[in-house]
Amino acid sequence: MKTRLAKFPFWHEAVLALLLVALLITANTMEPRFMRLGTQIELSRHLWEIALLALPMMLIIITAGIDLSVGSNMAMCAVTLGLLYEAHVPMPLAIGAALLVGIIGGAINGAFIAFLRVHPLIVTLATLSAFRGVAEGVSLARPISGFPASFGLLAQGTFACLPIPAWMFIAAAIVCSVILAKTPFGRFLYAIGYNENACRFTGINVPRIKLLLYTLAGFMSALSAIIFVARRNTAKADVGTGIELDVIAAVVLGGVSIFGGRGNIVGMLLGVVLIHETREFVSWHWNNDELILVVLGVLLIASVLLNSLFSRRSRSD
Amino acid sequence: MNPLTLLARRREYAVALALALTIAVAGIVNPAFLAAGNLRDILVQVVPAAIVGCGLTFVIVTGEIDISVGSSMGLLAAVLGQLCSPLHAGLPVWVAVVLTLLAGTLIGLVNGLLVTVARVPSIIVTLGMLTALRGATEMLMAGKWITDLPSALRFLGTGSVLGMRVSLWMAALVIVTSILFARNTALGRRVYAVGSNPHAAHLAGLSVGRIKIFVFTLTGFLVGVATLVSVPQLSVIESGIGIGLELLVVTCVVVGGTSISGGKGTIIGTILGVGLLGIVRTVLIFLNLGERSVYWERAIQGGFILAAVLADNFAQKNKRGEAHA
Amino acid sequence: MKFALPLTFAALLFAGCKPSAETPAGSSAGGKKITVCMLPKKKGVPYFTSCSQGAEEAAKQLGNVELIYDGPTDGAPEKAAAMIEKWALQGVDVIAVSPNDPDVLAPAMKKAREKGVHVVTWDADGAAGTREYFVNQATAQDIGYALVDTMAKDIGGEAEGEVAIITATLTAANQNEWMKFMKERLAKYPKLSLVGVQPCNEDQKVAFQVAQDLIKAHPNLRGMWAISSVAFPGAAEAVKQSGTAGKVFVTGLSTPNDMRSYVKDGTVKSVLLWNTKDLGYLTVYASNALANGGLKAGAASLSAGRLGEKKIAGDQVLLGDILVFTKDNIDQFDF
Repeated sequence: MKTRLAKFPFWHEAVLALLLVALLITANTMEPRFMRLGTQIELSRHLWEIALLALPMMLIIITAGIDLSVGSNMAMCAVTLGLLYEAHVPMPLAIGAALLVGIIGGAINGAFIAFLRVHPLIVTLATLSAFRGVAEGVSLARPISGFPASFGLLAQGTFACLPIPAWMFIAAAIVCSVILAKTPFGRFLYAIGYNENACRFTGINVPRIKLLLYTLAGFMSALSAIIFVARRNTAKADVGTGIELDVIAAVVLGGVSIFGGRGNIVGMLLGVVLIHETREFVSWHWNNDELILVVLGVLLIASVLLNSLFSRRSRSD
Repeated sequence: MNPLTLLARRREYAVALALALTIAVAGIVNPAFLAAGNLRDILVQVVPAAIVGCGLTFVIVTGEIDISVGSSMGLLAAVLGQLCSPLHAGLPVWVAVVLTLLAGTLIGLVNGLLVTVARVPSIIVTLGMLTALRGATEMLMAGKWITDLPSALRFLGTGSVLGMRVSLWMAALVIVTSILFARNTALGRRVYAVGSNPHAAHLAGLSVGRIKIFVFTLTGFLVGVATLVSVPQLSVIESGIGIGLELLVVTCVVVGGTSISGGKGTIIGTILGVGLLGIVRTVLIFLNLGERSVYWERAIQGGFILAAVLADNFAQKNKRGEAHA
Repeated sequence: MKFALPLTFAALLFAGCKPSAETPAGSSAGGKKITVCMLPKKKGVPYFTSCSQGAEEAAKQLGNVELIYDGPTDGAPEKAAAMIEKWALQGVDVIAVSPNDPDVLAPAMKKAREKGVHVVTWDADGAAGTREYFVNQATAQDIGYALVDTMAKDIGGEAEGEVAIITATLTAANQNEWMKFMKERLAKYPKLSLVGVQPCNEDQKVAFQVAQDLIKAHPNLRGMWAISSVAFPGAAEAVKQSGTAGKVFVTGLSTPNDMRSYVKDGTVKSVLLWNTKDLGYLTVYASNALANGGLKAGAASLSAGRLGEKKIAGDQVLLGDILVFTKDNIDQFDF
């Protein structure tokens, strides 16, 4: 423990920051237009759903858990929103209902994980297909379109130079970082990730914390779903397909250990931004979708590899 | 018999029961379901998941995971097609087969080395591979399909030997070998030792790294085998082969009772899991529940898994202490 | 680390709050250099690859067109929308879209038009108000009706029996649109009863299995429409292996090259499509004419290189009829 503390603990963040700076300098030389602030703000609109989901995902992975169902949960929420709007329910009520569905979905995950103590991978693997199936079943896979323009502003609008979802994310990120760094709850998350059994013995209410976390993930899924529907003006059962892998990739790239107990919000933010900028830049310059896949895959492995070369920290938790 | 084996067995019984019930219901509602031809087709359908499942069971038993199997199958299919299609490399089929198996083994080896030597967590390595290999496949195929597979290759997918499909022989061979390997070899027992307690295994003088490299390489090889017997069932090789296979196989393995945290799990359980999840779609078609039922298919699949988990949980309630030790 | 987060945000805001004004790069009237971005529904399938070949041919002939061909390899509409937004930001001259999901793409296409980029659709039409012209090879209605009519003709006689559809995914917008018209047209053939719509999740193997299951589960099955790029060969293979060729008919949309062997061995009687190379070719000519002022509202025809004069009906540039490839004519086509 002491030797680890004696070493520089933020190699991972440093590597990510370095990669990000290198990328942005390259981008600036090759594509000055890409680096304009206006361009960046517009392109950032592709990011916020993933960023919002990355927050609860980080907390969950810190407790050595995982949530694969966030994308499918989004679909349930989107479909709820769409069907209610179609049934002439006032928009605020429909939004409320969508949030509620997300929370219920998350709580179902949480209950299985916290009280039945089933491994989160298994539970959320099951709900990954179950939630999507419910969304398809209830909506019969129909798209629902034509939402009011005022609702669209929720995602397409701008407030004080930044897209509205960006402000939602900033607020959520600040709350998250305060909780993680300043509250006992945050400490408990790390403790659970390090050694769950020990936590149970010391009287930490592990099941309650887990239930809360997965419910939070459900809430954020709903929020992302609402933003997505507002942005694309369409609610459909395929919303959020595959987003879970993007989110998890960003979080683990950000240095959040998949074995739990380690990770911080700065690293996570760097991971999210690095993936976003890489994707957008490769797309901008090369216009080649398959190249993006290769670059992102290599980036994911290489950055963690670089990190393990720089820091010789032990992986035996 | 030690309690862990008993617990593992119990999950197998539960899955076997669910499988038997599903088949019975489908058979009663629509007797055509039980026709020999249909049962054979179902078996042929689940061959790739079964073969890859054997390898993945060992990976998960060591406490690691491999979610790159679907994308590697896609890449291997592209390689196989490009090697033996007369419009491309046009190599003799046996050369292409050997090279495909080698390529599969190599992908597995790279995964294993990255996990052990470079110490990158397996979920990151294989998530990266999942993405990168799919991109590589798209590049290799360059927007075209391969439609001129030589008939010798098609034989691997559609031909029969002694009245049984080649793919079924191959699956049987892989399953039996895997079971024997797990039960009767020193290396097989070490795989379990590494998974249940890596520190103890290390202290006992086992090379944890080498064993992990071995299971990843084995999985890569088996993905190659699965590619060889399943891809030539169809006449076209395209860039989307194997999408989602990783999700299916991981689900089958964990439904079959393998513990995701390592140390526990059997091949039989995995095969039963493959059977259960593999027949859902076919059963739903044979039950003929009407047009709308298809929209609920995924919900039913997910519900199946949750139900299995719930049943298992109640069965294990008394033994929980041991299960989580 | 404690300060890093606030610092990050501060930096973000400090970096200058005003989004800089967009100046579309070098787009003005005249026969000068233009950039055309061509977006397929799904990159990497032979259908769209052959469209892109025709488009490249046109770009080369015109000389002043720089062609960018890119699209999502997984066909995800969200990714397609993101690409349109990117191109609009780059200020390209024309974006030619084949919308995989018109509703999802609509906001991005409208926004691109607001930025002064010309937007045309090809292969499939967009939502209302999202494009200037549609390079029309066939509407959803044409396709849906043609699929049903061809099946009825293949089955022959009174067109009697059970039929099923294998679609891409349950949420695939185009396929759902085609199916709407297919069901409408089925009313004309009262003795054909639709017994199922099954998704294959854009997976050839699943299409194969589903087709196998449908053949066995419905002994009176006479026909299957396989209406996704990979469903057609998968379903044809199932019919071939089950030995039901001649009893169960499969039809769908495909390039002739990819289905040639099934047509020749009699497994598949008819394959529907149009000339994909010509479609890509015409799209680039129309895009060029639009950007250089050669295509104005009310024009009755467009001169499109080797295709000669092409008719314009309203805001649609018409390519021509749907082709039916059979044993007799399939060798005349190579794409």
